[in-house]
Amino acid sequence: MDILFISKFIVVIALIIMMLAALRASAYKSTSMGLLGSSVVVVAFAMVLLIGGDIYNLGFYKDISLALIFFGFIGTVAFAAVLGGNDE
Amino acid sequence: MIEYVQSALLLISAFLIIVAAVGLLSLSKNTKNAVYARIHIVGVFDVACIIAMIGIGQYLLAGIYFILAPFTAHAIANAYWKKEDRENNLDLVTVEEDVDYNHPFIHPKDKMQVLESENSEKLKADDRFSVTTLEIDEGE
Repeated sequence: MDILFISKFIVVIALIIMMLAALRASAYKSTSMGLLGSSVVVVAFAMVLLIGGDIYNLGFYKDISLALIFFGFIGTVAFAAVLGGNDE
Repeated sequence: MIEYVQSALLLISAFLIIVAAVGLLSLSKNTKNAVYARIHIVGVFDVACIIAMIGIGQYLLAGIYFILAPFTAHAIANAYWKKEDRENNLDLVTVEEDVDYNHPFIHPKDKMQVLESENSEKLKADDRFSVTTLEIDEGE
């Protein structure tokens, strides 16, 4: 079995562990922790799709992961801007 | 040869991701500035993701995420600082009240405290009309 193939699977397992850790972290007290955890989950899921698309040669997985990274970023920044309020 | 470099990058990123996950969970709740520390740990996860993207050959996506990730971390930290960080932010601890000094029935707290203090001018003026039980002589 190819070493590259194995290392991709190891990264996927690590990403799943990180998603579970981020889900736990998003349940902490402040709203900012929820925001942080959800952004981590989105990025980890996008990475899993990216690696899955690389393993099984599925091109649209990469498009979906690109969209997830972009819109996850936009959603996180927008929610943080609403949470922070005005500078006054 | 390139395969070995790619797998080394992926294994490094997997190690960093697991270290970040353990750090995110093991950080004590009572730690000072725990939210900022967690945002810092997520920065490690972001770098690990960038290394993994380079490892699977997605260089453009890695560059884009390298630019976007600090904005996310800063936005979350900024929002926390403005609205939720009572530990470091004195503005959030003291609550400002709108005080109307001309309201006929609701009097502000500081005004009442001045009136009730021992050195109050109004209280001294009212001493003329005060009668204590000690001064009453029942024999008269």
